[in-house]
Amino acid sequence: MIGPLIKVAGPDGREPLRRNLLGLIAESVLMGIGFVLLVPVLRALFGGNTNAAWGWIAVMAAVLIVYIIVRYRTQLAGYRAAIGLADVLFQRLGDHIARLPLGWFGAERVGQLGRLTSQGVIDVMGVPAHLLRPVVTALTTPATVILLMFFFDWRLALAALITVPFAALIYRWSGDLVQRTDIRVHDAAAEAAGRIVEFAQAQAVLRAFGRDNASLGKLDAALAEQRAAGRAQIFTAARGLVSFVFAIQLAFTLILLFATNLALGGAIDEPELVALLVLAVRYVEPLLGAADLEGALRIARNSLGRMDRLLSTEPLAEPGTPKMPDGADVVFDKVGFSYGDVPLLTDVSFKAEERAMTAIVGASGSGKTTILRLVARFWDVDTGSVRIGGVDVRDMTTEVLMSHISVVFQDVYLFEGSILENVRLGNPQASDEDVIEAMRLARVDEIAARIPGGLSARVGEGGTALSGGERQRVSIARAILKDAPIVLVDEATSALDPVNEAAVQAALRALTRGKTLIVVAHRLQTVRNADRILVLGDGRIAEAGSHEELLKNQSRYAKFWHERSRAEGWRIANASGKAHPQDQSVP
Amino acid sequence: MNATVSRLTAPVKRVIIIACVIQGIGAAAGVVPFIAVAELGRVLLAETVDQTAAWRIAYVAVAALALRLVCLMAAGALTHVADLDFQYHLRTRMAARLSRAPLGWFDARSAGMIKKALQDDVTALHHLVGHSYTNMVSALVTPLVALSYLFWIDWLFTLAALVPVVAGVALYGLQYRGYGEKMAAYNAALGNVNTAAVEFVQGIAVIKTFGQAQKAYGRFLSHTQDFVRYFWEWVRGLLAIAAAAEVVLSPLFALLAVLVAGLLLVMAGLTEPVNVLAFAVLAPGLTAPIMTLAYSQNEMMLATQAAGRIVDLLDTAVLSETANPREPQGSRVVFDDVSFSYDHETQVLKNVDLTLEPGTVTALVGPSGSGKSTLARLLPRFWDVDSGVVTIGGVPVGEMTPDTLYRTVSFVFQDVQLLRSSIADNIALARPNASRAEIEDAARAAQIHERILGLPRGYDSVAGEDAHLSGGEAQRVSIARALLADAPIIVLDEATAFADPDCEAAIQDALSRLVAGRTLLVIAHRLHTITGAEQICVIDEGCIVERGTHEELIGRRGLYAKLWAAHESPLAETPEAAK
Repeated sequence: MIGPLIKVAGPDGREPLRRNLLGLIAESVLMGIGFVLLVPVLRALFGGNTNAAWGWIAVMAAVLIVYIIVRYRTQLAGYRAAIGLADVLFQRLGDHIARLPLGWFGAERVGQLGRLTSQGVIDVMGVPAHLLRPVVTALTTPATVILLMFFFDWRLALAALITVPFAALIYRWSGDLVQRTDIRVHDAAAEAAGRIVEFAQAQAVLRAFGRDNASLGKLDAALAEQRAAGRAQIFTAARGLVSFVFAIQLAFTLILLFATNLALGGAIDEPELVALLVLAVRYVEPLLGAADLEGALRIARNSLGRMDRLLSTEPLAEPGTPKMPDGADVVFDKVGFSYGDVPLLTDVSFKAEERAMTAIVGASGSGKTTILRLVARFWDVDTGSVRIGGVDVRDMTTEVLMSHISVVFQDVYLFEGSILENVRLGNPQASDEDVIEAMRLARVDEIAARIPGGLSARVGEGGTALSGGERQRVSIARAILKDAPIVLVDEATSALDPVNEAAVQAALRALTRGKTLIVVAHRLQTVRNADRILVLGDGRIAEAGSHEELLKNQSRYAKFWHERSRAEGWRIANASGKAHPQDQSVP
Repeated sequence: MNATVSRLTAPVKRVIIIACVIQGIGAAAGVVPFIAVAELGRVLLAETVDQTAAWRIAYVAVAALALRLVCLMAAGALTHVADLDFQYHLRTRMAARLSRAPLGWFDARSAGMIKKALQDDVTALHHLVGHSYTNMVSALVTPLVALSYLFWIDWLFTLAALVPVVAGVALYGLQYRGYGEKMAAYNAALGNVNTAAVEFVQGIAVIKTFGQAQKAYGRFLSHTQDFVRYFWEWVRGLLAIAAAAEVVLSPLFALLAVLVAGLLLVMAGLTEPVNVLAFAVLAPGLTAPIMTLAYSQNEMMLATQAAGRIVDLLDTAVLSETANPREPQGSRVVFDDVSFSYDHETQVLKNVDLTLEPGTVTALVGPSGSGKSTLARLLPRFWDVDSGVVTIGGVPVGEMTPDTLYRTVSFVFQDVQLLRSSIADNIALARPNASRAEIEDAARAAQIHERILGLPRGYDSVAGEDAHLSGGEAQRVSIARALLADAPIIVLDEATAFADPDCEAAIQDALSRLVAGRTLLVIAHRLHTITGAEQICVIDEGCIVERGTHEELIGRRGLYAKLWAAHESPLAETPEAAK
């Protein structure tokens, strides 16, 4: 627990944690000493020497006072450590997140990360603030008591000690047992969770198509397995727990029987024996509370593990001697790239000329969007290079690279705030006139006219208050205001209603005028208008040229064009005699 | 314990009571060895030592220990097994309830929320069922038995020993003064951190591409610093009093108090020295339950909140079921004076009349938010209408069994859902007994047969495991499913706006096969796809404002003509770099 904590805390967080830990050990030892003073007090009392008893009580009171002082300071130090830890963690995590490659942020990761950087830090703060004390005390105080018992009677001390390694072994063994069943429980829970998500997401389909409540079958099986796995764990865990409690109780039994035997044999001073007995049975017992904290400790441990993994993710390297691009052309030079082990691009080379439009077409999954992302350095290439204005994107600072690029991707993210604030983000220094002009060009003014609150209407978290097309228009206005020389567009595949569609197209025209434009194209008109079309296939540029040139080749592009032309002419009809002629092509 | 929690836990109430009784016996047995030590001291310190009595006490202590072990294990096993059954039944109950909720209910909630309720919230009750009740019994029985024994041997001394307990509880209570407001402020600060964290992470791409990383990072940090500062002020204010409470409740303080009181009483001749022994053994245990209860309070609060969410879910309104289900006669669909609102405030549909003649195509068009999707979803009964009626073959949809309804109406939507089972099972969902040949025929008609054969295990490949299909391919599997279901009425919502333009033509061919000869209700944004429809209804603000064929509507120069013009215009121009 302490190891990973110190590792994640970084150099600045280490010292307070160390001080906190030392304080906790000191106060636990003091408490142990206080307990042991019970023996001389009782011995004096039973011996009828009240003065000596008062003397020892005074010593005990003095120990208590020192204990209180140490404890207060330790508690303060614990909170200080917790707060320092929170500051350091928020900073380290935030800083690291800001430097990670953009491609790293998948939908699932984003959800987990949001939690880790808020609740996760709080969980970890709890360790020095609340959790460490009971854990340290539960170990150190009994150890102190047993150690000091040796000064009075080594035999009883030994009896108290003898079961400790035994109990420790059993503790480890039962931990292993539980861990093994944990895997099954965890798998069962994951499967059940997956089936619940499916149950919710596919509810319409399940209900409309799934006859005889078969829909509940798979979910029910998963839930039943979750119960079975839980049962198996209980009975396995019970074996370990019974053994552990048994071992602890055995210690108690041994001490009791041994002490009785010693006393009856007259081998020991009775008052001292009785005092030691009290000490051994009451104050050696692991203190209550430590076991209750296991759950909280596990949560903190898991958070720590996730933070450690995040912090050891390689951030995007910043160049030692950054360069400035000269021009706004984009060159891919023998680029190879793979997601994990799956090679996606093997050898991609092309040049997107400055102030010209380059369209990328290709089958789904061929890597079209990845090309755009490599320009924006969401990832670094595996081989080859991506250059802007003659300079490798890896040789520019992130700020310089980003100042040269505007992106219009399919998933638009707006910040909680007004439409105006979201547009202004494109260029915080822009004049009001420029902002208004950008909004007019992207026809955001029409949205503002429609909704109550106008430009100062809040868009909701992620922009949920606006429709998909409207969000796109706001994001395009933002990009217009930014006015970067290179524009990367991932054309939307889903259809918008005709009004929005027309507005988005108008906005895109305004954005891309006079820019170097690279567009992943789905619409035929877009493709046709391109100065140069790149056909992506098998991890490389299979064909390149203008629409007319490529059509003449009678190859991939020609096939693509004909398929798509046919698709755009398609009409829905149910063969009641008026079907469109192209429907007859159905086999 | 509040009503929500007890309502949920009613099925396991008996087991919990039995477990609590056993736990109580175990807890009482757990005090016996400590009493035995005190009594043993009494025997050993007497003038003449009664050996038999000494051994008897020792054996009683050992036996009590064994009894305690057995009882605690039995109680724990009982509650844990009961808890697993309880969780299982609660989850299946929730799922059963949800499968009768209006389908639209699921649109308003994310799958993640439902997963959280069924998995995490139910799990959060574990502490309640598995531990809380039995812990509470222990926390009460243990000090009660100890106190009874102490009172029995010396009531005056007992009162003195109780002083630190009372003082500790009082100090503990002081900490919670104004706790509510402070907790609210704490949660507000924490909420800001959450929002800032989510925004920072989700918006990271935008933040970076607009060069705002430093600013956004700064905003995140300033919220976290506010939180940390608030936390610090709160704990610093409480530090002295909290530390005082914990010190007073600590066993060392209790021990010292007992010794001082004991010595004074002994000197005053009010008690015997040997009684001090009993108090030294038992008194420090009196404060332990206060700590235990305080620690478990947080988990109890979480469980109560979770229970509230679970009860809400179990109380979800379900679609009414008719006592006398009827079979539709034919497939003529009539929306008769239908009105509907989601929230009983904003009318989404107002007095809509619409008839779908068997075997015809009806298209719904209109701006976003006009209500056309809602209208289409009333047919497969995603929601029930507020007024008016939707009938199929003369029978209101609410008077059919779900089975009958979905035999009659199928739908294909843009967001395709494949289940994590074999492709064959996915296609045969509506007809689990369909032969492999029938499944393959459907797949062939849906233009996906060849692709399925190319999967690692062909039709037995499992979607999402070894069958990784693109959006367009999954769409065709869902069309094959609808083909096999063979319902006479089909609703297509946005089904022509594909996630996967590269195989658009294949999907369209598949759709053409699906809709042949059926009654069709289709929503389309790409207006040219529905120019051949028998009936086009233009919906605006919840009303059908125009209806007719494409040519008729163009001629009318109304909203449809405007939409058509907007639709046509972007086809002529597109992003274009100026040269």
